[in-house]
Amino acid sequence: MTDRHSNLDRLQQVVAAVLGLDPARVDDNLTHDHVDTWDSLNHINIISALEQEFGIVLPTGSMADHQSVRGLRALLGQHGIEA
Amino acid sequence: MQHRKHRREARILTAKNAAAAASASLAAPVEDARVRAVRLFDRLGSSPGIAAVAAALRELQPIRSAITTVKLRIAAAATFTFDPLRAAVDLQALRAGIDAELFIAPYGQVAQQLLDPASPLAAFKPDVVFVAARLADLAPAVYDSFNSLTSAQAEALVDGAVAALRDAMAAFRGRSKAALLIQNWEQPARPALGIADGAAETSHRGLIERANRALRQVAAAIPNAFVMDYDGLVARAGRDAWADARTALFARIPVAPGHYWALAGFYVSHVRPLAGLSKKVLCLDADNTLWGGVVGDVGADGIALGPDYPGNAFVAFQKRVLDLHRRGVVLALCSKNEPAAVHDVLDRHGDMVLRREHFAAMRINWDAKPANLQSIAAELNLGLDSFVFLDDSPVECEMVRSALPQVLCVTMPAEPAAYAAVVDALNCFDQWTLSEEDRRRGEMYAAESRRRQLQTVTVDLPTFYRQLDMAVSIGIDQPLHAARAAQLAARTNQFNMHTVRCTEDDIRRWMADPGYQVVTLALADRFGDNGIVGLAVVRTATGQWTLHMFLMSCRILGRTVEQAFVRWLAARARAAGAAALVAEFVPTAKNKPFAGFYGDCGFSAESAAGEVAGPQRWTLALEAADTTIPDWIRIVESAEPPADAGRANSTESGP
Repeated sequence: MTDRHSNLDRLQQVVAAVLGLDPARVDDNLTHDHVDTWDSLNHINIISALEQEFGIVLPTGSMADHQSVRGLRALLGQHGIEA
Repeated sequence: MQHRKHRREARILTAKNAAAAASASLAAPVEDARVRAVRLFDRLGSSPGIAAVAAALRELQPIRSAITTVKLRIAAAATFTFDPLRAAVDLQALRAGIDAELFIAPYGQVAQQLLDPASPLAAFKPDVVFVAARLADLAPAVYDSFNSLTSAQAEALVDGAVAALRDAMAAFRGRSKAALLIQNWEQPARPALGIADGAAETSHRGLIERANRALRQVAAAIPNAFVMDYDGLVARAGRDAWADARTALFARIPVAPGHYWALAGFYVSHVRPLAGLSKKVLCLDADNTLWGGVVGDVGADGIALGPDYPGNAFVAFQKRVLDLHRRGVVLALCSKNEPAAVHDVLDRHGDMVLRREHFAAMRINWDAKPANLQSIAAELNLGLDSFVFLDDSPVECEMVRSALPQVLCVTMPAEPAAYAAVVDALNCFDQWTLSEEDRRRGEMYAAESRRRQLQTVTVDLPTFYRQLDMAVSIGIDQPLHAARAAQLAARTNQFNMHTVRCTEDDIRRWMADPGYQVVTLALADRFGDNGIVGLAVVRTATGQWTLHMFLMSCRILGRTVEQAFVRWLAARARAAGAAALVAEFVPTAKNKPFAGFYGDCGFSAESAAGEVAGPQRWTLALEAADTTIPDWIRIVESAEPPADAGRANSTESGP
């Protein structure tokens, strides 16, 4: 849980897999504005996939918010996952 | 699915290209695309998450055509957000051997999309449509306000929803032959009457049962429409945890993300039999699979098999296998052992459920299992892609998997108590209808094995044929044979002139059409009744008859019945005044056994064999054609169907 690097790596893998991106592209500056596939439905998929990956339950509101990698890291941070 | 023939050919061509591209781009050693896919699905495990499914799908994208044998256009019309299931359905289809083109109709428009001839769904021209309409969406009050409704109101809501779906599907059926797969309705996890529901005269559960009964009747009345037991799926997964209230309320996704994979697998498992991709053979290892222990070491008395644990776990496993066999699954045995040791258990152990007579083929030797499986497939005349192989040894499974990726290999779990559940989880044998032929197929293959033993001791073939005492019954336009004829057309891949499928409805239409004759062939011999094993659909124009469909079950090939069938048809055509019998052969990935058949029957090809890859046209000039039926085949033409054959016992779903 406290291994920041491997958690970041897992976050990158999940976002990259759902959106169909190279994991290297998944950095703090990436937001839904930059990626065609990051639509509202895939955002829900990202949230669900992060829940599955980290074994956590995120608030329903996150299905609409945090549509950026920076936002997702902050969201995970609020739930005890330092990425 | 009338266009699939062409797509199949297209697929074969693209498969070659894809394979060439793959071998050019990959660094050596080149792994077979199918082996790669099998390993990937193994890694995925039984409940992959959303990210794993997305990544796997992307990995398989370039080899789609190399790992599939059927292309299908699959549409979903749902009252909920179906899109999150897309990747999982696509991937489950690839796993089943289906290259699916998916179309998801606009959300919440099930009736409109089916009714409107100009809808995007209609324009998509699907082969299969999932009608994913939830009663909870069509008539929410039935679930969330049950106690506010009088029983008359509740029933009216249910009947209204059923009628709307019935009308929409019937209208769609008028324009499309696509299979309609409709999911039934889930029971409430918590009935509105609480503990009183079970005893109540108008109970919540009773209402849903009534709704599902009505849905079954609707599907039964519409050709090529089937009910999928969604309620059963939800029950198996656990009703309480099936839905995630957050995604349900936020995005109208009524299933929790953790169940996407299972739900997608559920949908695809209902398509598999329609695509002719159901498995047919279950090949079993012996030691530590059929029983506990190694019989060569401990002897028949020492193996674990009997009334107490762990022996009872193996008995339970064998009972499940026998029950699969009773619905038509062919059994084979493949064991590294001395034959005498295994025979001793099969013939004499008091707690064995499976006996020698249940196995259509056995290989008990020290050869490699892939070679044994190939030899079993050759003996049974069944493709290896219709095989499932169960073995407790991960090493044996790995060998089979890498040599024969088309065989579905399942490694038995370490715990014998879990064995029976392994059989229960094999939904790959499922068929939509079960006929008498199905119930007896396992038995018929076993009889075939005794016939072959006869063949090994006789001197010449005519003597062998005469000893078989073959009686052929031919039925012309017999409506009672329609269901079995359609089923035979759906399942016959090898001895089939072009592998175009047709529906029971098509068969009935041809039977009624004076321009067509539907001819079924049933075969009995001294070892038993094989039932209906051949089908010909003939277009009967004056001057020339054309074989529209011609196919025979591989089980009975090599006994001259197939030639006799063609000769009988030729004689009939000649008697009707035709000068020629014309036929086509369209090579597919699987129908190589058919390739030389017309030539053997005296037809001449319009182009030299092998010159063209596509359809070949063959003609039999009837004036000079030999239409002698060999003396070892008795032919009976029946106006009435034979007592047993073809009395297809159609149900809307398998047991």
